[in-house]
Amino acid sequence: MSSSVLVALRVKADPDIAFDVFTQEIGEWWRPDSLFQITPRGDGVLAFEGEEGGRLVTRLASGKIYEIGKVTEWRRGERLGFTWRQATFAPDLSTRVEVKFESVGEETRVTVSHFGWTSVPREHVARHGFPDRITQLRAADWWRRSLVALQKKMETQ
Amino acid sequence: MSARRSLDATLAALADPSRRRVVELLGARPHRAGELAEALGLSAPAMSRHLKALKQSGLVEEAHPDFDARVRVYALKREGLSALKTWVDRTETMWTSQLSAFKAHVEKRR
Repeated sequence: MSSSVLVALRVKADPDIAFDVFTQEIGEWWRPDSLFQITPRGDGVLAFEGEEGGRLVTRLASGKIYEIGKVTEWRRGERLGFTWRQATFAPDLSTRVEVKFESVGEETRVTVSHFGWTSVPREHVARHGFPDRITQLRAADWWRRSLVALQKKMETQ
Repeated sequence: MSARRSLDATLAALADPSRRRVVELLGARPHRAGELAEALGLSAPAMSRHLKALKQSGLVEEAHPDFDARVRVYALKREGLSALKTWVDRTETMWTSQLSAFKAHVEKRR
């Protein structure tokens, strides 16, 4: 059973530039999707406000600001983390996105992982006396299969 | 339940690690509540609460084994996971499309 999504590709830029463009110009490159909208009134124009502890917002056509999530990690050229809540989600529900930037020769591999729930802290597993091993194995299987598919995609690019 | 509410319920139910473990165990075969409580080291009332949440989310259903209609077992409900699968598929499509747009944007500006 898969609860996470992993998508990766390479871009012709160094990791710092890729990170800067990803965060500072998200309002320019984000492509609104009519099938999977952030809010019922469209995707709006996205923007990161502040670094760690800041937030990811979108400004809708009406001028209204919708907060998509909080920035949980901000390491330029390496890693970006934020929570993700579409307007149609239940109030107490949030998902999590991690974006990894890795140098590959003169390019950068950008990997987006989107988790349907917060990962289990190790203490929690220990406290309840059961291993989350099966879940982890299946997630790993799923990731492996996805990576094979992505490699194929990258080769055809 | 609408697809959206069904996804909310599924993700909310699976936000708890004990309930995820129950879903994994039931993925192998149906279990009795007592077996699940023992496997997870939880009390019967605590397990009962988790099973109630899982039933309400549509992920799990009560069934009776063929050999004895009085015995109650819990099993995974196939349709229950479809909302989650739809979310995963759509989210993957979204990021594939957004990352392509990002790539085009980064490479255009240089």
